[in-house]
Amino acid sequence: MSAMLLNKEKWPEFVKMLAGKKVLAPQADGDAMRFAAVAEGEAPALDYNNTRVPPKGALFPQTETMLKFQSGSEQVEEPQLDQETVVLGLRPCDARAMAIVEKLFKWDIDDPYFVRRRDLTTLVGLACIEPGMNCFCSSVGGGPASTEGLDMLMVDLGENYLLEAFTEKGEALLAETKDLLEEAGDVQLKEKEKVVGDAEQKIKRKVDTEGVPEGLPGLWEDPLWQKVSASCLGCGTCTYLCPTCHCFDIQDETEGFDARRCRMWDSCMFDEYTMHTSGHNPRPTRRERTRNRINHKYSYYVDKFDVIACVGCGRCTNLCPVNIDIIETIRQVKEAL
Amino acid sequence: MKMDLEQLRKTAAEVVSRDDVRYLVGWKQGTYGYRVAPGFIEDAAGAAELIFSPLCTANLATYLTLAEQLPVPRGEEPDDRKVALMVKGCDSRAVVQLLVEKGIERDDVVVIGCPCPGVIDADLLAEKYPETEDLAEMKWDGEDFLLIRGGEETKIARDELLAEKCRLCRYPNPIISDIMLDQEVETWELAEDEGVQEIEGKDVDERADYWAEQFEKCIRCYSCRNVCPLCYCQDCVLDRLNPTWVNRSVNFSENTAFNIARAFHLAGRCIECGECERVCPANIPLGKLNRKLAREVRDKYGFEAGVDPEAEPFQASFKPDDPEDFIL
Repeated sequence: MSAMLLNKEKWPEFVKMLAGKKVLAPQADGDAMRFAAVAEGEAPALDYNNTRVPPKGALFPQTETMLKFQSGSEQVEEPQLDQETVVLGLRPCDARAMAIVEKLFKWDIDDPYFVRRRDLTTLVGLACIEPGMNCFCSSVGGGPASTEGLDMLMVDLGENYLLEAFTEKGEALLAETKDLLEEAGDVQLKEKEKVVGDAEQKIKRKVDTEGVPEGLPGLWEDPLWQKVSASCLGCGTCTYLCPTCHCFDIQDETEGFDARRCRMWDSCMFDEYTMHTSGHNPRPTRRERTRNRINHKYSYYVDKFDVIACVGCGRCTNLCPVNIDIIETIRQVKEAL
Repeated sequence: MKMDLEQLRKTAAEVVSRDDVRYLVGWKQGTYGYRVAPGFIEDAAGAAELIFSPLCTANLATYLTLAEQLPVPRGEEPDDRKVALMVKGCDSRAVVQLLVEKGIERDDVVVIGCPCPGVIDADLLAEKYPETEDLAEMKWDGEDFLLIRGGEETKIARDELLAEKCRLCRYPNPIISDIMLDQEVETWELAEDEGVQEIEGKDVDERADYWAEQFEKCIRCYSCRNVCPLCYCQDCVLDRLNPTWVNRSVNFSENTAFNIARAFHLAGRCIECGECERVCPANIPLGKLNRKLAREVRDKYGFEAGVDPEAEPFQASFKPDDPEDFIL
């Protein structure tokens, strides 16, 4: 692992040196932030809390074209994935989410799209200094400077960014930009400890997950699911904004004589999700769908991959139109155990 | 106006204790910060959770049609008791429009009217007084709002925080109700609809560009559709797969098809409660779109949604002398 320093004045130059790659970074979009491609010559400031939509689309786009074909032709065209990408300044929770989802996409078979994109992508994280009000990463195995899933982490030390590389891709990025960097010393590493420690102290909301993964299946018919889901609108906000939600649907779509096979995000909160051809739906109401969402994150995924599929980013809670609060839900689960 | 919470809870407890009432939907304190959550109250004790404050922006009328009808087990009778619903003026227009469309039966609902001096815009509030995890309360205080947080009270001028839908609101008092919780509030001077004027000030190309930029952001979570009290089709055109009217691909073309389809389906039906815009995680100004169509319907046909329970539904009525001079 190498640790280097980048003076913030050289930040625009640093971004410029990535030219040739696609660079995604958080950028203002009205009064919200979102990850978008950085225009040539620009270097967005990284003064943000987090984006509303997570950067998961960098590896798992909302719509992925798998192949294209035409009516009357037997030719099938597969889009080539060869765009080298750097995601700059993503939050450690979102990077951790990518590592968690990767377990699934590399499980029984390697998912060609996700795995290829991950190979082509360098993830450069930015440690959190001011956690958001619903952040609870430290309760679910993460932290403001978690490195899981990251190729490189940046820590804001005031005048400088401390850059630490953890993988070959991260080291390569440091090598590419070495003219701008200085060697970091113990002083800076100590400073980092302090900055990160302070950030951790600022995390107010906590979740106690002890016993939850094992206990959840036993609450299958518990009245709590009716209570939690009573106000649910059945929209896709919580799942589409969740950095670990990874369900998808595959559809063939046509436009005139052109057709494409795509896969796109799907949401377990939609009523057509798991709808059988027969018309039967094993999860007929929002009660079962809510139960599934929580079980999937806090029990099934733990069972299969030994990690909770929630990174505590707080988005589902921040943006649920009806204040369904996952921290409160897990508290209710604990209470019912 | 001072909403008497004791009175509200007492009334709610009485209503929910009635044999012919299944549950009551009202507002309750949320789990943190400025949040208020829909409360489903099933007994008199539960009524103690209810609140009515400037933070109660949500239109709960959507729960009249959102409630899921589960198959009734053999040997059991369906529960056809009434649902009691707390409504502000704007929310009551949704109930009226549902009655006009026969989406609900008058006998199925007990309407508890809350005359409303106007609610806050949560984004404005959070911008000026950053939201924290600490629970906050708000009250109406004469002409102002009062924010109560951590034992501290802050007086905030009404104009500073009033939600856009309230600046444009002509019906702060519930249009129908079975029980009215308070004296009617006086209506106020209406603001200009700057949002719609901004759109009207653009030429066709500029409008197209404006909406292209907005629809590009749509993530198709359908929270606007699901929160809308008037989007209650059992079989929504957007969910159809055979035929697929709107592809699942998220791109500008499909997003536009979705948003335009929804706007047109709401023309003459939208009651301008602003919920679609409030819940949109992509910050698409859907209010401008829906209010523009409402304005067109009002100007051209003299029809306003949700103000007259006896009205014929606009999209299902035809008069020989309907104006047509604007039809190309």
